[in-house]
Amino acid sequence: MYAIKDARLAGTFVVLGAWIQLLSLICVTFPLFTFGAKTIFVCADFFLTPFDAAFVVLTSAVAACAFTHGHIFFEGELVGSDPPTSANVRVNYACAMFFVLAMYGVYFCKNLGYLWVCVESTTLLSAPLVYFSRTRHALEATWKYLIICSVGISFALLGTLFIFASAQHGAVSGGTLRVTELIEAASKLDPKLLRFGFIFCFLGYGTKCGMFPLHSWLPDAHSEAPAPSSALLSGSLLNCALFAIFQIGQIVSASGNRLSSEFTLWSGTVTVIAASLFLIRQHALKRLFAYSSIENVGVMLVAIGLNSGWLFFLQALNHSIAKVSLFLLSGNIVQATGSKSLSDQSGLMASAPVWAVLLALSVFAGTGAPPFGTFLSEWLILMRAADLHYYVNVVLLIIGVSLSFIAVCMHVGKVIFGTRNPHLQCFRPLASSAIPALLVVCSLFLGLALGPLMWPLMWGSSSDPRGNNVTWRLDGENWQ
Amino acid sequence: MSLTIYEVVSLLSAVIAVLMLGSKSLPLQVSLFSVQIWLITGETVFFAYQYNHWEFYGVALILFLQRAVFVPLFLERILREIHVSRDPGMILPAPLTMHLSILFFGLSFFVAQNFPAPGPGGIVVATATASISHLFSGIVMMLTRRLALSQIIGFLTIENGVYLFALTQTNGLPVLIEMAVLFDILGAVMIGGVLVFGIKRSFEHIDVSQLKDLKH
Repeated sequence: MYAIKDARLAGTFVVLGAWIQLLSLICVTFPLFTFGAKTIFVCADFFLTPFDAAFVVLTSAVAACAFTHGHIFFEGELVGSDPPTSANVRVNYACAMFFVLAMYGVYFCKNLGYLWVCVESTTLLSAPLVYFSRTRHALEATWKYLIICSVGISFALLGTLFIFASAQHGAVSGGTLRVTELIEAASKLDPKLLRFGFIFCFLGYGTKCGMFPLHSWLPDAHSEAPAPSSALLSGSLLNCALFAIFQIGQIVSASGNRLSSEFTLWSGTVTVIAASLFLIRQHALKRLFAYSSIENVGVMLVAIGLNSGWLFFLQALNHSIAKVSLFLLSGNIVQATGSKSLSDQSGLMASAPVWAVLLALSVFAGTGAPPFGTFLSEWLILMRAADLHYYVNVVLLIIGVSLSFIAVCMHVGKVIFGTRNPHLQCFRPLASSAIPALLVVCSLFLGLALGPLMWPLMWGSSSDPRGNNVTWRLDGENWQ
Repeated sequence: MSLTIYEVVSLLSAVIAVLMLGSKSLPLQVSLFSVQIWLITGETVFFAYQYNHWEFYGVALILFLQRAVFVPLFLERILREIHVSRDPGMILPAPLTMHLSILFFGLSFFVAQNFPAPGPGGIVVATATASISHLFSGIVMMLTRRLALSQIIGFLTIENGVYLFALTQTNGLPVLIEMAVLFDILGAVMIGGVLVFGIKRSFEHIDVSQLKDLKH
């Protein structure tokens, strides 16, 4: 893409490539979801299960939406008052494509060492995306992002080494980093080393996913990056880091240790509460949605702590769809007003009613209001937590999610209503509404139509974090 | 307690990391970092020889070329271009951070005694002390220094500790993963270097403690 000198032409190729990639991935992974195939096997260290394939397709869909909207967004930037250079845009496209490739690698890797390499690669390849505008604020955000995430990932490498050492002590001759072998030999892993390994990996990958209190880089990076890059960062990168935590949590749970479940559950709950408090006092639109992403990371951590992979995926799916829509719309608004500050963005309903309606619907979708899909996933997570007797967590989550809903609606309400901004200049308002509209419709579809269909996928036999077998029927009554 | 040459080399590398914290001069820090890498490379070669892991000769070569040759030259070029040579420290003055690091060196010894022995050999406490001390030294450097370049050196020191831990406590990660990790870290250093130039150009300094325009 960088070799093509015209930024617009490069953008066209990127968009075409992204949609072809999405369709190809759907075709390749289709047998996993329908014909009973268990894996797409490349080698012992790289293969896809249906669960991994779902995330790969989700990442591809997010990338396709972000690149498509990005083509229009960067066209607007290039004709704006302070246009970026063509080289900047082309570097952005090139890095974004490699960034998406690295994210695919995270889901393909079934070896903790290669998983670490892929996660670190996502940090390195996404740093240029944050640095796009070359301003002082972008520089500050990129520096914080690079340093905090790299140090965090170093601790994750140390944790990986501890897990490798735990396998060497009697479980697997010579040690292993393969997830399947670690799960099979889980009961023989050295418990002390495994505990150290989990804690360091959790801290490391938790930094990468923006868990409280290691989240300080996230609002800066997501707000300084251009809107399509913010959508990629929020809609897919966070899922990668959480997926790594999920993989390692599976190994620790298989060894009979409840540390990973309880720790993850409580970290998620605290993250939700902290993020909802931060949301009350915000001054910039994209930072507001970045803190909303942190809140959703907390909800996903709760799902992982409840040992439910499919609830984690469902929340990730709904969050990604809503958050991508929110960031793309916020990019339109920031581009039209020339300001990131909430105080400069008001009266959107009068100036750009289509954007205003889509923004309102996306906010409802992103904050877990019915009838959107996020409501369904959060409701199911709360139900599962309550049925497993984590009542304190349920109460705290309800408080946190409610608080964040009120805070976000309050801020966005001021953007939608109020005095019309005379300086607002929309660039291709209908074209730039297409992808957010599609995503809002998808979120609505997930909430209304797929709800009953999702229950059998989620509620098969499973064991709860306390080790009890739990079987659910379609009508919701649980058996033991 | 008698120490083998293997343990002496790793402990010496940790001592060099502690010494690095006592200096305010950035060129000296880069030179001491380079000496650390020489010692760690020697440790890798010794490990490869003792346990007949011939592939680790390749890892040693890559480590040497990357971190003992390329990275110091890269960092020295940055120092020449941005005309900065001293880091006065942030929370604590430089000599006090060295004393703090010495305390952490002692703490590392107590932490290392809790590790079970690796498979062959049984050399644990001294080498584990050295690797954990590297980690602590790198963390102290990142927390107590102002300049962006010092933070990069601190990050690399943490990575040295992780690498040494892998080598001495787990008999090394699989070689492909080691190579991939080395190249990833190199990428991080290069991007960090590019950002340092950008910070100098935009802010007229590389004092990261002044980067606080973006508020909560």
